[in-house]
Amino acid sequence: MSAVEITAEMLASSEPYQEESGVYWFISDELNVRELAKAMNAVQARFVTITTYQLPKEEGFRLEYHWDLGGRLLGFAFNLSGNSIESGKIESIYDLCEAVDWIEREVHEEYGIEFTGREYEPLLLRPGDTPGVNKREEVAK
Amino acid sequence: MSYKIPMGPYHPGLEEPYKLDMICDGETVTDAKLHIGFNFRGIEHLAETRNYVQVIALMERVCGICSFIHTLTLCQAMEKLTGAEAPPRAKYIRVVMAELERLHSHVLWAGIAAKLMGFKTMFMTCFELREKVMDVLQAISGNRVNYSMNRVGGVNRDIADPTALVGMVDELEREMVKKVIPIFTTSATALSRCAGIGVLTHEKALSCAAVGPVARASGVNQDLRRDAPYAAYEEMEFEVPVQPDGDVKARLLVRALEILESCKILRQALTRMPPGELVCGDGKFNFLKVAMKTAISRVEAPRGEVFYSVSWRDGSRTPARVHVRTPTYANMPAVRYMVMGARLADTPLIQASIDPCYSCTDR
Repeated sequence: MSAVEITAEMLASSEPYQEESGVYWFISDELNVRELAKAMNAVQARFVTITTYQLPKEEGFRLEYHWDLGGRLLGFAFNLSGNSIESGKIESIYDLCEAVDWIEREVHEEYGIEFTGREYEPLLLRPGDTPGVNKREEVAK
Repeated sequence: MSYKIPMGPYHPGLEEPYKLDMICDGETVTDAKLHIGFNFRGIEHLAETRNYVQVIALMERVCGICSFIHTLTLCQAMEKLTGAEAPPRAKYIRVVMAELERLHSHVLWAGIAAKLMGFKTMFMTCFELREKVMDVLQAISGNRVNYSMNRVGGVNRDIADPTALVGMVDELEREMVKKVIPIFTTSATALSRCAGIGVLTHEKALSCAAVGPVARASGVNQDLRRDAPYAAYEEMEFEVPVQPDGDVKARLLVRALEILESCKILRQALTRMPPGELVCGDGKFNFLKVAMKTAISRVEAPRGEVFYSVSWRDGSRTPARVHVRTPTYANMPAVRYMVMGARLADTPLIQASIDPCYSCTDR
């Protein structure tokens, strides 16, 4: 069984990955970010980054987590509904994967998304600013 | 008694502005905290206001050293969004430019490392070699920093006589083997400043998700050119140098050996370059007709993996989102572990040993 198949089994999905333009996307509505981080640790996948999108029409946010597994880029998407500062919440995986520290802080600063269960250092990129000021249109107004 | 010493954001030991707050016990660093953001330019946000031509020129300015790599990664992502594929000759030219940029970056870094060791003669030798590489980059592209070589679906300029560049590659390799590598690996000055200094263990390199020469110098065998080949790298034969020690000397050795591997790749690309077009089709392209499409591209830059995620809405002239993850952004947090237990005087060299780029990191 390949490492990719092992992660699919650990994340309990029968049809796990869809390859699209070189990225292996894991499609599941049941995905839990902390279970995901544990599965990636188990197969020694390397964390790459989190890409965040503000969706149009008050649809909320989309967070795409990426890990590299022997040259294969794995992608996992999480949708956060609602555009208010309070609604953008997801569990932090900082205690499971220390490499996410800076990107969780950056996403928090850019979009005001709260990664629960961790403490934040002072602002990473814009000292003195309010979280969310770079991207969140409603905060910028 | 412990005390805090701030290094930066503006400091003679730093090439670019960032801040390292070090907690010291006597002359020994016991912990450190990093602060970035002094070069924040909001480039990701600016990219959302630029069209598909302007965005290439903008992203070329993310980094002053890896400017080709940034446009290559962006164009590869945009090629996935448009269905355009660079012709074989363009892919070979991309390999040549990427490897020349690696040579330029590694030789520049070796010079700066020599300067920080107090080894000024070596600094001059390295910069003389770097000048030769930059002359070649200028001869190909007409530019010395921002080359404007990449476009969606290919490259803008041809290399008229690729085999004429092989002589430069041979000369550079000779100089590296004869002067730079022996001096860095045998001179007492270099060894006393590098060996056993700023160690990043294999386990910490994995948990910090370090990339590029920093990871390879800690025994992590990864390189996107081999593991997830792009451009024409699948057709190239080369080794990926890996060192187990994780200290400054190992990082120096990995980069020195990578210079030799780059010379090997360059020789292959220059002598085997196929004839043909530089751009696919007639150079025109359309974005795929979907409401919103995202494409991701990764490239092995001189400092490690560069990641671009580019999203485009149907009918839009500007991208909906461009996210950039640069190698220094991944490697920098590991500096905390490298300086813990080090002598204060070694910290400028230790932070420089990851070849940091804050222009990239802050974006």
